[in-house]
Amino acid sequence: MRDTIVQALEQAYYNLVHMVGEFLPHFLVMLTIILIGLVVAFVLKYILRTLLRFTKLDRVSEEAGASRVLRMAHLPSMSELLSRSLFWVTWFGFMLVGLSVLGVSSLQEQISRLLRFLPEVFVAILILFLGVAIANFLSRAALLAAVNAGYASARILSWSIRFVIWILAITMTLEELGLARQTVIAAFSIVFGATMLGLAIAFGLGGQDLARKFLEKYLGEPKKATDKEPQPL
Amino acid sequence: MVEDTFLADDLVSQLISVGEVDLLVGISSHDSPSTIGSAIRAIEDSFQQHFVRQRVVIVLMDGGDKNEEDNVVSVETSAPDEKRARGHGITALRTIHRVRANFAAPPTPGQGLRTILAVADLLRAQACAVVSPASTNLTAASIGNLLTPVFKDKFDFVAPLYRRHKFQGLLMRNLLYPMSRAVFGCGIREVFPSEWGFSGGLASHCLNQNVWQEEAIREQPEAWMTISANSADFRCCQVFIGDKSPPKPGTPGPDIVEILRQTVGTLFWCLESQQSKWFERDTVPAVPTLGPSQQLTSEPTEMDRHRIFEMFQSGVTTLEPILSSILDPETHSEIKNMVTLEEGKFRFRSDLWVRTLYDFAASYHHAVINRDHLVQALAPLYRGMTHSYLVEHADSSPNEIEAANEMLCGEFELQKQYLRERWKAKVEVKS
Repeated sequence: MRDTIVQALEQAYYNLVHMVGEFLPHFLVMLTIILIGLVVAFVLKYILRTLLRFTKLDRVSEEAGASRVLRMAHLPSMSELLSRSLFWVTWFGFMLVGLSVLGVSSLQEQISRLLRFLPEVFVAILILFLGVAIANFLSRAALLAAVNAGYASARILSWSIRFVIWILAITMTLEELGLARQTVIAAFSIVFGATMLGLAIAFGLGGQDLARKFLEKYLGEPKKATDKEPQPL
Repeated sequence: MVEDTFLADDLVSQLISVGEVDLLVGISSHDSPSTIGSAIRAIEDSFQQHFVRQRVVIVLMDGGDKNEEDNVVSVETSAPDEKRARGHGITALRTIHRVRANFAAPPTPGQGLRTILAVADLLRAQACAVVSPASTNLTAASIGNLLTPVFKDKFDFVAPLYRRHKFQGLLMRNLLYPMSRAVFGCGIREVFPSEWGFSGGLASHCLNQNVWQEEAIREQPEAWMTISANSADFRCCQVFIGDKSPPKPGTPGPDIVEILRQTVGTLFWCLESQQSKWFERDTVPAVPTLGPSQQLTSEPTEMDRHRIFEMFQSGVTTLEPILSSILDPETHSEIKNMVTLEEGKFRFRSDLWVRTLYDFAASYHHAVINRDHLVQALAPLYRGMTHSYLVEHADSSPNEIEAANEMLCGEFELQKQYLRERWKAKVEVKS
């Protein structure tokens, strides 16, 4: 009886030592990979930040109105954001590789799913960001053009452009992530279809007089200050 | 004579047959077919009357469709008609060369000027002039006035002075002239001349600058050349050349936004690209005026002041988020207060106007928003200033207007330090 217990304990101890013996080198390899990843991520971040400073990306981003959006979201400048993103993506990638060295089968499956999903997340963020930047740029251009042409509905026009591009960008982002793809497409189609149909009914059938007045008031001939404005040069 | 050049082979072969010249006049022949004939006759008459013994050439910039103007500028050397030949006597028999620079499409003003400068450089012209074919008031005397100071008095740059109505040229009077004078020390009134004269030396200097691919230079190179001549200490002067061509009757009014983009955009670009030449400079060297000074007329005209004011009000209100990112908060707040005033009580103070423009210039430098958008955002404010000017000077005499303009120039000079501070300041974070 006593021998059996001792034997079982010895076996357990042996197994534990064996497991630790097997796990420890993997764990050390994992730590090494994560540490190397940290260094590589730092170096890449530094290189990218320097390169982006040379390319004057921040100025371009400022001109496109993207930096303003970043500031509103309390985010750093475009070049800093991109270099920090590269740092985290690189290090995260190394962490996942390190974890996979441990050889935990269920963990490996999750890791490989995450690795497959990572590019899609990156592309989705890029789409969203470009959408916001383009929406800002175009809506501002429309606002300026409409104001200087003397249209009364300049703000409505500007906001409509911004809204349409945002909706488009959000839809594309969600589709890229594969989140409720069918629902998103259906919702997008319904919203747009309904808007267009509503406008058509309102302006074409529902109230011709109202539509005429509305069009005359907001989208009619701009009252230009042309012929009676002094020659500037 | 032929060195490495961007000029087309066809043009170079024409230049070889011309040889060296003393005087050169460049003109675009593609965009004003109705007036190009009279402009060329004025140039030739000028050569016949004022430069009898000099070797001369006319350079025609031609692009696109040739049919319309072929009747006027088809031959390479002039063949004066009998009447004009009798009028000029024996000098009418001399050769006035014409060379044609052909472009596949109408050249941009920058391309045209660069070609004229290169031709002047190759032909070693001593005195040159660029004239606008759209100027309906070009005369032999006015072209002679542009060329003579360069050819005889050795000036390097001759800017024109015009006679025009007191309510015309307001952008020039309220913005371009006082700002370029205060910032660059450029005392030339017509910073964006339609016609001007220059020496071969200045032509070579400008030709060798690495700016010809810049958008501002492609679209509006005159201001850059004017400011460069002044900044590089070339000898500059101004001469009176007559009436400024009025807009064609029946044509739509000026597109303020387009004009602001071309002129103010170029001026801001010059500020950016020539920062080292103006930042520490305070002196304003006097630019001599040869002959009479500019003249203002004051016959009654019809202006829709109310509509101008309306567009100022609605523009400033609607563009508030854009203006808040461009203007200093204090400046913006004062402008917002002005918008609430009744039309009768509204005045755009000159100190506020100057501060507004300096804020725009600094924001252009810091690129707080897209630069083209930034210049467009100035249009409502310019309209506000125009309204104020029209009200204030409704009954002013030319002398009173001149005095007010001097005061505005003084205000620009007084506040130059403000521009320097805003220029050096880091971009403020506004959400």
